[in-house]
Amino acid sequence: MLELDSITKRFGEAAPALDALSLRLARGEFLSLLGPSGCGKSTTLAIIAGFLDPDAGRIRVDGRDVGELPPRRRGLGLVFQDYALFTSLSVRANLAFGLEAQGVPRAERRRRLEELARRLDLGGLLGRSARSLNMSEMQRVAVGRALITRPALLLLDEPMSNLDAHLRQRLRTELKQIQAELGQTVLYVTHDQAEAMSMSDRIAVMRGGRLQQVGTPEEIYHRPVNRFVAEFIGDPPINLVPCTVRPGTGGAAVSSPLSPASSFQPGLSPMQGEHLLALRAHDIRAVRAPGGAAGVPAKVRFVENLGAQHVLHVELAGSLVRVVTTPGLAAEGDTLHLTADLAQAHLIEAATGEVVRASGRRELAA
Amino acid sequence: MPDLAAARRRPALTLLKRTAVLVAMAISFFPIFWLFSTSFKPVDEWASWPPVWVSRHPTLQNYRIVFFPEAARTFAEAQKGSLDYKVSGSAWRAFGDSALIATASTALSVLFGTLAAWSIARYRTGGASLPLQFLSVRMFPPIAVVVPIVAMFSVLRLSDTYLGMILAYTAFTLPFSVWMIRSFIEDVPAELEGAAMVHGLGRFRAFLHATMPLIWGGLLATALFIFILNWSEFLFALVLTSGKVITVTLQVANYVSASSGKLYGVQAAMGAISTLPVVLMGYLIQRHLVRGLTFGAVKR
Repeated sequence: MLELDSITKRFGEAAPALDALSLRLARGEFLSLLGPSGCGKSTTLAIIAGFLDPDAGRIRVDGRDVGELPPRRRGLGLVFQDYALFTSLSVRANLAFGLEAQGVPRAERRRRLEELARRLDLGGLLGRSARSLNMSEMQRVAVGRALITRPALLLLDEPMSNLDAHLRQRLRTELKQIQAELGQTVLYVTHDQAEAMSMSDRIAVMRGGRLQQVGTPEEIYHRPVNRFVAEFIGDPPINLVPCTVRPGTGGAAVSSPLSPASSFQPGLSPMQGEHLLALRAHDIRAVRAPGGAAGVPAKVRFVENLGAQHVLHVELAGSLVRVVTTPGLAAEGDTLHLTADLAQAHLIEAATGEVVRASGRRELAA
Repeated sequence: MPDLAAARRRPALTLLKRTAVLVAMAISFFPIFWLFSTSFKPVDEWASWPPVWVSRHPTLQNYRIVFFPEAARTFAEAQKGSLDYKVSGSAWRAFGDSALIATASTALSVLFGTLAAWSIARYRTGGASLPLQFLSVRMFPPIAVVVPIVAMFSVLRLSDTYLGMILAYTAFTLPFSVWMIRSFIEDVPAELEGAAMVHGLGRFRAFLHATMPLIWGGLLATALFIFILNWSEFLFALVLTSGKVITVTLQVANYVSASSGKLYGVQAAMGAISTLPVVLMGYLIQRHLVRGLTFGAVKR
């Protein structure tokens, strides 16, 4: 459907904004381009849309090289962050804009407009001025305007970043439903990992103009390839605990403040030096009194109340570690005993930031 | 009770501020008052000493001289020997010429200004320095370019023609157009044009359909501003014409007599009439005028 082939873009002398980016979207796929601001995701979108020319590389939509085509001939729909509705026009005129521009006959225009209005539940808005809409209505109209020309690919540029959390939740579901119903291929640009996780078939994580990892939300969450991806995905953020690794026969021994008695990990290729143990907050168990297997004692510094669960920030060897618990387990100042499930941990080489051993979760699940 | 002190201090300050404003306004408005007052004075009060502030024998004679050649000739005849007034061309023609030149060059200036401003605002045409280069043209004292233009125009046979004046005024006001319109365009999100382009329009039609509807007010303000500049221009008109084309400002200067200099009352009448459209337009666009005067630096 969409193929990006080593797209490079440079603004001035600095490091390239996009460095040989290659990406493929299958038909009907919902792929999120995820990364912090300045990672190149918006540049990527502008290049696909045809607002920017890449310095090198190819863009194909439906197998057709669109690199030389103006935006209107690329077969795209686009929803902007601020929706960019034509405020001087009615909702109906906004929706019909693409069809009119393409010279679609009036009868066909009306038919498609009605069908789309029904699907997006815009029937009651058609006569209103685009100026008078609220955020959620604006979003639906913007999506409608982009979909009415039946684009091969729908691009969305952070369409939820101006909304409050509540509305965002609701629109996420709406958008995903529409996409699934239509089987629409979508490229969704966002810096919000929760949005990407909840809607995408696959996520492409970007940083500094480079693709870090492409995979399903499960893969990205459970098997990050490096420290950046591990830290960027997940809420509460993943714990990174310094540890040392000593190679042995047929594996290596890992010791960290979480597991002072060094535990032997079979199959780990021998290596030495500073590493980080990356462990999700819910893969650490906290109990008030040490049970059979004695845990590591740690003091609760801060309790984050999320309602159904609490995130405890506990002090371990001078740094804070996040632990998810049921409400009411501990208060500030209490001492808890922690046990970590090292099978769920990733081992990250401190110097390179690369994950050298991913967690066993996938094998366990399989 | 502490409020009392503050309340006592504040009126004094307010009074001071208001007085300052009143004084400033009096100074600014005095020439305009004098213009209108003089335009109704009979001949012997034009330059009398002590000055006559408001005439006790107001007359419309000055206006009649401006508008009716017959009245001008009668006046010249009556004042023969004392004023030696040589009847100049009709004021009607000056109004006609000025209207034509000012309107045409305003239209051209706003048209080219819009195109240039769009290109600069949306596509960074000419890089960061081009808008400043436009501005630097305005830093030139007009007198510095007048002589080369005279030479150029005589070679191109544009001297004393409508086309020549229109070209000169268009070139002269284009920097204002570009700067003002650029600021209006930049107030409209570029995404609108992006949306129009992705969903079916070419670059220029995207501008026309997405951005233009939102900047009409700004374009109108720019046009009125430019029109006022053109209408009141004197230097170029003086140097680039020699009788075939005559503007309102030149006509004012035409009311002179050989023996005793300027016909103040008639000049005042002509000035009062030609000021009216400018004052009216200035009033209509006062909200946008500040922006024009600061080259669009002030955002609404």
